[in-house]
This record gives sequence, structure tokens and C-alpha cells, in this order.
Amino acid sequence: MLLPRILAPVCASLQATSKLAAPSKHVLDALRAANGTITSAPTLALTSIRHASHQSQGRANGAKDGPGKRLGAKKSGGEFVIPGNIIFRQRGTAWFPGENCKFGRDHCIYAVESGYVRYYRDPNLHPKRQYIGVALEKDHNLPYATTRAKPRRLGMVAVVNEVDAGDVRVVVPVDGSEGVGVEGGVKEKDKTAKVLTMGRGYAYREANWQIGRTAERMNVQVKQFVPGDRWTAWKRSQARIQANEEKKKLRNAGKKGGAKKKQVRRNVA
Amino acid sequence: MAPVTPSIRHFSLCLRCVRQLPTANGTPRRTLSTSAAAREEVQTQPSTPAPPVPPPSDDTTLTPSTTSQVIPDFMQKWGTLDPQTVENKKQERRLLRREHVQPVGSRRRRAVLRRSALQKATEVPFEQLPYQCFQEARKFLLEDRQEKIKDIETQQLRIRNLMDQDPAVSGGPAAKESRLRSMRKHFNELIILADINDPVVKRKFEDGQGDMNKPIYRYLADQKWRQYKRLVLEQRLTQMNVVPDLLPTLDIVADIDLGFGRKSVAPGDFVLSTISEKMPRLNVQIFTPGERLVTILVVDADVPDLESDSFTYRCHFVASNIPLSPTRTSIPLQRIAQEDAKSEDVSAKKIAIPWVSPWAHKGAPYHRLAILVFEQKDAQPLDITKVGKTKRENFNVRSFVDKHKLSAITATLFRTQWDESMAGVMERAGLKDQIAVELKRRRVEPLPHKRRTERMR
Repeated sequence: MLLPRILAPVCASLQATSKLAAPSKHVLDALRAANGTITSAPTLALTSIRHASHQSQGRANGAKDGPGKRLGAKKSGGEFVIPGNIIFRQRGTAWFPGENCKFGRDHCIYAVESGYVRYYRDPNLHPKRQYIGVALEKDHNLPYATTRAKPRRLGMVAVVNEVDAGDVRVVVPVDGSEGVGVEGGVKEKDKTAKVLTMGRGYAYREANWQIGRTAERMNVQVKQFVPGDRWTAWKRSQARIQANEEKKKLRNAGKKGGAKKKQVRRNVA
Repeated sequence: MAPVTPSIRHFSLCLRCVRQLPTANGTPRRTLSTSAAAREEVQTQPSTPAPPVPPPSDDTTLTPSTTSQVIPDFMQKWGTLDPQTVENKKQERRLLRREHVQPVGSRRRRAVLRRSALQKATEVPFEQLPYQCFQEARKFLLEDRQEKIKDIETQQLRIRNLMDQDPAVSGGPAAKESRLRSMRKHFNELIILADINDPVVKRKFEDGQGDMNKPIYRYLADQKWRQYKRLVLEQRLTQMNVVPDLLPTLDIVADIDLGFGRKSVAPGDFVLSTISEKMPRLNVQIFTPGERLVTILVVDADVPDLESDSFTYRCHFVASNIPLSPTRTSIPLQRIAQEDAKSEDVSAKKIAIPWVSPWAHKGAPYHRLAILVFEQKDAQPLDITKVGKTKRENFNVRSFVDKHKLSAITATLFRTQWDESMAGVMERAGLKDQIAVELKRRRVEPLPHKRRTERMR
């Protein structure tokens, strides 16, 4: 049974459409006409199903829940730190190293001076960055004033070296006799003596300039080089080639058997 | 005369811009402050208005003893070398070596000049070059210049009228002053604008022949300096903390070159102790007109202070009453010291605190040696004996500046640290007891976090 409230528009529509179309005996048709959705054919069932195009479970989506990396502040503001203490661990650069601090290789921030940790901003340096610094004294505030000298710490002690004035030198006579002695400085002008100085790698060695002048010290006479003297050049090259051949013969003397290699002959003019 | 050289190769070389040779080879670098008068000019007289040229500054007190050096025979065989026409590298080098003069302009231009001279071609002055477009452009620029000159005259008249005006009419003396200031500023701008488009001015400036007495050349030199050199200097001074450590602020307004002997030193370079044993030479180029007196101060900003576990400052050198002007840029401290030694009069001396060679302990962090140039107030000379009473150790730049009413115009620095020759330098400086002292890092005790206490067991 239809309620009169619903029926009223139905009757009205029936009256309106009665002139255009034949009066329908079916109430449903009348309802459709009232809604203005007259379809000629009955509607097909449009039931669609969404299939999973991407696997929602399993390894395809990667592990979302790994172990925690223990990031974050290791020292809070005002805490005392010594050089090397890590103050903050982070991925990326949420915090930047300020006074007396440095970045580690994974952007962790560590102290290079002992002092008190401060978390601060420095608009003069950068408008957006936030910094972590170490104040040298407990009552210092960061950032330091830009017009005053920055407080610094020496962090060093004075040590008086016993051997004064210059480097230690070891004098080694070239002729091989013993007598490796440490001297304050070489006084005697012995040209054949090797003067060994402590080099960079804590090894005693001759200085480069002395190595360079060895030939001079040993009175080595060298024939003067004459550019364009082909005769001498040819003689020397021949001598070298012959020496090489001799060497090769000696090397191959021990070997027996084996196919003889075809010898590459140099044109000996 | 040098032989006529094949030109194609040289032209291809010229296509790359020819760089000016560095100053390291011991020749005086071409500075802007001197205009080469002796050289003959191909062009006609420049059309610049030439504002009243001040009388040449009396360099008699500091003129180098120009001993006519005997030119050796092998140099005389090189023939005449004209800086306008030397064309290849060899000749340029010879010119520098024998005549101590830099070649003028680009090698390409010199080649053309020389070739035209060889062909006995008639030399057309630059302004009469027979190119229509060029001449049209010149005409346009000349018109613009006439306009600017007219503006300058009216502005001059206006300034004079305002100066004669009663302050009550122009709204009080302060308002009058501020108006005058802005009018003078505009006047100066007009003077620059009148010449800025002149090709002859541009050429002369690029050849290094600009006269620093003229505002246009000062302006151009200032612009060029600000484009690169000043930026570098400012960066070094701030990165190495000269500015907050020694001076609260510093607006660099003068170009400064530092060198030891023949070697020029870039700001912030490490200098060997033997080299810095002698006083440096400075070249300070200012870009504002007028003669003034300056004070030079050399301060070590990193003297280790073991008692307070910190650093202090040490004054290495003070010289006052050194005259400086746009055309007088050189401050050869060595020569000033020699003249000081000669002069009997105490008040005429310039060096208040003599040079002490910079030194550093073995193992100590590097020392920054800042060279500060201050302008004295109202170009008034300072009393040298009073300045000389300043203590070297625990020196404070700020109080020194306040006491003598100085204002910093420029600064530079070099660094020094322990090197092989430092022991000898310190011995000569009378610091033999300090040679054996070595600074080593103090061991830092670890924090007691991990210590096991009674309760934890």
C-alpha cells in the first residue's frame, strides 16, 4: 500500500503525462516518470569487483618495522662534555654543528672542546638552521656576540726539550767503521761522511740534496753530453743491446728443451 | 731592432686574452696611480673635462734612490723595446727585465700597432677612425655628455645658492646640511656619468694609465676592486676571525697589497719565518680624494697564554703619520725605517714600535699576524713618543684605537707557524730561551660515567 503522501505526486504526474503517454497501469512506471528517469530497457546488473593489483602482504612492500637506530640527543642542553663526546645522532642534518662542534661522518654532532652543551639558533649565520654548540664556561650563552673576540681555549702544555737548538744528527762514516754517534751539530768538514737526519717517518736518512750530490762527493766523472752526437749515441745503444743479449743468453742457459722461440732480430747495422 | 717575427702564431696566441705578468718577478707592477707621461700617445687628447689637477704630491721624502743602473752588454744587444709595440713573449720579458716596464694593452693591439708602424701606415687617431657606425655612436655619446655637463653646471649653481641661503629659510641647519649632502652626492654621480661612456677613458683605464686624481678613474678602479679582490680579502678577514677578534667591525674601503721583498703574499698565506724577519712592504690604494695620514699596526692575534689557558695579543709593529693619497700608495716600511734611523728629530720619526719578527712555538697552532691600516682623525699627526709607550705584550687593539682616535680603513693578514728556520729567527730576535719550548696537547681526562660504584655490584 502506498501512503497518500507518496501517492499525491504520482497522481499529479499521471495527470500531467496522461496527455502525452498512455496512462500506465503500473505504479512503478509512474514513479519512474515522476523522477524523470524513463529508461526504455530494463537495467543490467552492474556489479564490479576490484581485484588486488598489488600484493599487500609479504616482502613486496619492504620491511617497515626494523630495529630502532637509537638516534637523537645523547647529551642534553647544559650537560658537560669532553672532546669526542657525541652530542646528537641523526639522519640528515636536522642539527648543525655550532661553536666547538663538528660533524661526524654520519652527520652526528660531537664536541671538540670540553664545555657545556647548548642548543641554539644563529640568525646571523643562517636564518633557518638550528645549531648545537659547546660553551666553554657554564655561564656563557651561544651564539657569541659578533663584535667581541670569541672565547678560545689553548688546551696545551709547554714542554722543554732537552736537546736544544736544532735537530739531532747521526754521523755515519761512509767507510763502514763503527762509530754511529749522536752529535749536536756536525763541525768537521768530512766530505765522505754521510750525515743522517731524522726525516718525516722517524727514519734516519740522508737529505735529498745530499743524495743528489753523491756523485760530486765521490768524484764521478761523466762525459759531457753533446746534443746531436749520433756516433756516441749509436755506440752506446749497441753496447746496451749486446749487454741485453748476453743477459738473455745467461738466463736461457739453464733451460733445456722447449721450442725455440723465433728470435726477433734487431737490425744491427 | 728585433727581427720581424712571423705573425700568424702570435696572432693565435693573442686571441687568448693576454694576462698581465705577475709581480713576482721583481718589477714594479703597473699601478693606476701613475699615468705614464713619457709615452707617446697615438690618440688625440681625451675629451675628459679634467677637473683641477692637484699639484703632484711631494714624494721627495720617500723617493727611491734612483741610481742609474748600468745596463749590461747583453741587454743592450736587445735593441729598443717599446712597451706599445712589443709583440712576443720574449720581448715582453726583456722589456720587464731591462726597463722594468709592463707592456701596454693586449698583445693583439701591440702587434697591430707594430705592423702598421713597419708598413709606415698613416696612424689614424682613435677618434677619427673611418667607421660610420662608430662615428654615429660617438656623436650620440658626445651629445649625452654635453647634457651631463649642463646638469653639472646647474647642480653646481644650486649647491652654491643653497649654501648662501639662510638656514632659517631652508628649514633649520640640520635640514640644510642633509639637503646639501644629497645634492653633493648627486653632483658627484653626475661627474662620473659624464665620463663613464667615453671609450678613451675606458681604454686608458684598461691600459693602467688612468690618473687617480680624476674621479672617473678612481670610480672605475674602485668598481673593479670591489668585484673580486675586496670580496676575497673580506672573506679571509672574516673566516680567520680578524674582524671580531681584533676589531668589532671593519668596512674595507682601501685596496691593500702585502709583500715581503719581491714576494707578494695573498691575504692569509703562510709566510716562512726567515722571509717575515724583514718588514713587509705595503701598497694601499684609496679611492677617495685627498691626502691623509695613516697608522700601520701589526698584531699577533694568537699568542698562547699558558696561565689562563687561552690566547692573548702581541703588538709587533706600529708606524704613524704615514702620508697616503690616491696617487701615493706605496708604504715601503723598510725604507721608512732607514729614514727614521737617519733623522735626528724625534718628532719627525714615523716608527713608534719597531718590527719584531713573528715567531711561534713548536707545536703551537698557527699565529695570525694582522696588518691593520688606520686613518688618523682629521689628518692630524700623532705624537710618536706617546704612541711608542704602548706595551707589546697583552696588547689591546680596541683600546689603542680609542685612545688615538683612529678609524680602520683596511686590513690584511698573513700566518706564521713553526718551521725549520724558526729557531734561527728566534735566536736572532733574542728569544733563545723559548726555542726549546714545545707546546703539546693536554690530555683530557675521560668522564667518570662508566665507573662502577659500590651500589651497582
